[in-house]
Amino acid sequence: MLDYLIRRLAGTIPVLLAVSIFVFLFVHLLPGDPARLVAGPDASPQDIAAVRADMGLDRPLVVQYLRYLGQTLQFHLGRSIKTHQTVAELIGERFMPTLLLTVFAMLWSVIAGVGIGVLSGARRGHWQDQASMVLAISGISFPGFWLGLLLIDLFSVHLGWLPTGGYGGWQHFVLPAFTLGVGVAAVMARFTRSAFVEITAEDYVRTARAKGVPERRVVWKHTLRNALIPVITLTGLQFGFLLGGAIVVETVFAWPGLGRLLVDSVAYRDYPVIQAEILLFSCEFVLINLIVDVLYGVVNPEIRLR
Amino acid sequence: MASIFPRMLLAASLALGAAGGAHAAKDLVVGVPDNLTGLDPADLNDNLSQSAARLMFEGLYMLDEHMKLQPQLAESYEASEDAKEFVFHLRHGVTFHDGTPFNAAAVKFSFDRAGNPENHLKRQSLFVMIDHTDVVDDYTVKVVLKYPFGAFVNDIAHPGALIVSPKSVQEYGKEVTRHPSGTGPYQFVSWSADTLKLKKNEHYWKPGLPKIDTITYRGVPENGARIAMLQTGEAQFIYPVPPEMIKSLEHSPTITVFNEPSIFTRYVALNNLRKPFNDPRVREALNYAVDKQAFAKVVFSGYSDPMDSPMPPLLGFYQKQGSYPYDPAKAKALLAEAGYPNGFEATLTGGNNTLVQRGMQFVQQQLAAVGVTLKVEPLEAGVLTAKMFNVQKPEDASIVMLYAGWSSSTGDADWGMRPMLYTKAFPPVLANLAWYSNPVTDAAIEEGLSTTDPSKRAGAYAKAQAQVWKDAPWIFLGVDHNLAAYSKKLHGAFIRPDQQFHLTADADLE
Repeated sequence: MLDYLIRRLAGTIPVLLAVSIFVFLFVHLLPGDPARLVAGPDASPQDIAAVRADMGLDRPLVVQYLRYLGQTLQFHLGRSIKTHQTVAELIGERFMPTLLLTVFAMLWSVIAGVGIGVLSGARRGHWQDQASMVLAISGISFPGFWLGLLLIDLFSVHLGWLPTGGYGGWQHFVLPAFTLGVGVAAVMARFTRSAFVEITAEDYVRTARAKGVPERRVVWKHTLRNALIPVITLTGLQFGFLLGGAIVVETVFAWPGLGRLLVDSVAYRDYPVIQAEILLFSCEFVLINLIVDVLYGVVNPEIRLR
Repeated sequence: MASIFPRMLLAASLALGAAGGAHAAKDLVVGVPDNLTGLDPADLNDNLSQSAARLMFEGLYMLDEHMKLQPQLAESYEASEDAKEFVFHLRHGVTFHDGTPFNAAAVKFSFDRAGNPENHLKRQSLFVMIDHTDVVDDYTVKVVLKYPFGAFVNDIAHPGALIVSPKSVQEYGKEVTRHPSGTGPYQFVSWSADTLKLKKNEHYWKPGLPKIDTITYRGVPENGARIAMLQTGEAQFIYPVPPEMIKSLEHSPTITVFNEPSIFTRYVALNNLRKPFNDPRVREALNYAVDKQAFAKVVFSGYSDPMDSPMPPLLGFYQKQGSYPYDPAKAKALLAEAGYPNGFEATLTGGNNTLVQRGMQFVQQQLAAVGVTLKVEPLEAGVLTAKMFNVQKPEDASIVMLYAGWSSSTGDADWGMRPMLYTKAFPPVLANLAWYSNPVTDAAIEEGLSTTDPSKRAGAYAKAQAQVWKDAPWIFLGVDHNLAAYSKKLHGAFIRPDQQFHLTADADLE
C-alpha cells in the first residue's frame, strides 16, 4: 500500500509541472495588459511603464516563467499585483473559509443525498421515490443565487435569525452551506438511486434475499456497500469542485473565499494570484484522487488486492 | 402561511429586542461592492480604496461633499501669477497616528516620494509638473513647478496627494499599503480578506471629533445582499444601489435614499478620423437621433440627467451649451446630406456590465430608427482596455464607436476635458478615444492651465466647451446620479459627485 502511494505521488510531479507551464502560458496569452489595468484608466504612459517595470513584465516570457518556477519550488509565490500582499497570505486568509464551507456543505448534502437516494432506490416506484426525485430535480434546477437571495430575505430580513452574509460564527455558515449543498445533495440522491437500483438487480442480492437475509441487511450491507463506489467517486469530484470556491454562493453571501478571489484576480489580470490558485486547485484534485483511491479499498477489499 | 408568518415575525422581533441591548460604542458599517486594492494613497486608482484612505489620511487641501476646495492640513496658500510657484502655510499641532509630528518635511517627503518615477507609484502623473518642493520653515512649504499648472491646488486635493507619515514609509517600504499612518480622524486597525476596520483617532486635531468610534468597510458584491444588510441593520451605509432597485427602499421608515447628480458623464466616442464619423453632419445627426430623456428613463430608471455640455454641471467652470433635441427627421436629413440616405453599419464597443450593456442596446435601438445599423460588442475589462490603448498610430484604432464614461478625479475642469479632448491625449498617451483634434479646443485647454486666475480659466473652459459642443465628437448621453442608501440614524455621510464615499468630520451615528 505504501509503495503504491509513493508511486502515485511521484506520478503527480509531471502532471503538476505541465499544469504550471499551461497556467503560466494561458495567463500570459490572455488579451489585456496588466500594467494598463493596474495603472488605471486615466494613467499616463509614464505611470504604465513604471508599473510594467515594477512587475517584471518587460522581460522575455521564458525568463519570467523560469523565475516563476524557481520561486514556486521554494514556495515563494510572489506578491499580488493588486494589493501587494504576498500570495501565500492572500490565499491563506481565504482558504479556511472555503474549506470550512465546503466541509459543512458536503457533510449535510452527502448524508441527505445518500439517504434520499437509498430511500428512493429501495422504494422504487412508490410515492417516496417519486417525491424524492421531484425534490432532487428541483434541487438541481434551482439557481443558487436566487435560492440564496430568497433565504436571505426570509431568514435575515424578515425573521432576523441569521446574518445576511460575511464570515464569522456558526450562524454565518447556515445559509451559505445550505445553499451550496442543495445542488450537491440533489445530484448525490440521483446518483445513489441509480447505483442502488443497478446493484439491486445483481445476482448476489437476489441470492441474499433468497436465503432469507433480512431486508434491512440486504439494503444497507449487500446493496449500499457496493453502490457506494460511484458515490465516493462523485463525492470526491464534488469536494474538489467546491474547494475551488463556489463563486455564486461566495458572491451572494459576501464570503471571503477562493472562488471570488479567482474571479477578481482574472478581472484584474493579477497573474501571481491566478497562477497560485490554479496550481492549488490542481494539487487539491490530485490529493482528492489519492484519497478516493484509498477509500475504494476501504469499502471494497477486492480493489485493495489489485 | 398567513397564520404562521406573523408569529415568526413576533419571535424575530423578540429575539432582536433581546440582542439589541444598550451599547455605547458607535460602530459604522459601510457595505461596498468590492474589496480594496490598498491603502497607500499614492498608489491607488479606485474610488473605493481612495475613499477608505481619506478616512485615515488628509491632504493640504480637500474637496468637500459639494466638490468645493477646502483647506485641510494647510491653512492657506499663495500662488504666483504665472501658476508656477505655490506656497502653503501649514496647520500647527497635528500628529500622525504613529506619533510623529506633521510638518513641512512630511509634505516634502510625501510629494517627493509620490512623484519619484523610481518608486513606481500609480499616481505619479499628479506630480509630473513639480520641479521641486522646498521646506521654507517647519510650517511653510514651497512647491515650484516646471511649467504653469493653474489647477495645481485641485491637483493636490486629489487622494493621490494625501500626506503620509515619513516614518511609516521608512519602516514598511512598499508594505505601507497595509500599514497606513496618516493624520485623519480614523486610524487603521486591520484589513483582511474583504473587511477593513478603523477606529477613532483619539488625538485628532479637531477637538471633540470624530464622534463615531469604529468604521468597518465590508465588501459585499451582490446588490441584493447589500440592500438586505442595510435592512437588517448590519450596515448603516451601502453603495452603490442599482437604479432599478432604489424604488424598493424609498418607502422604508428607517432608511434614507441618497440620490444626487454625479460628475460621471456617459457618451459614445465616435472615431473622428474614420468614415463616416469624420463628417460633422454625421456626428450631429447621431446626436439628434438619440432621445436623451428616454436614455435616462430606460437605462437609469430616471436617475440620470441629459448632458448639455461636454462637462458635467458640478465640475468647476462648467457652462451650459444647449441640447441636441430628439429629432429623427432632422437626423435622417443630415445623414442624407452627408451622403448616407440609407444609413450605414458600425460596431459599438463597450464594457460588459449590466448598465453599460443596457445603454449600448438603447443606442442601438435609437440609431436603428434613422437607418444606422449597430453591432453591439460588449467586452471584458482587460480585453477592452487592450483594444482601446494598444494603438501606436491613430489610423490603427480598431474601435469606431466606444460607449464610454468619465469622471474628473481632481474635480477640476482640466482633468474633465484634457484627457479625452486634447490632441496630445490620443491613445496610448491618454483617453482621447474619439481621436478628436481641433486647434481652437487645444489652445483653450492650454490657456486654462496657464493661469491660476479663476476668471481667465473660466473664459478658457467656456471656449473649449462651446467648441466641443459644436464639433460633437461624441454622442452626448447623460450624467449619472449617485445612488446609495443609509440608515436614518447616520448623519454626515455622502457620496461625493466624484463617486467617493465621504464622511464629514462631524459625522455621527445616533
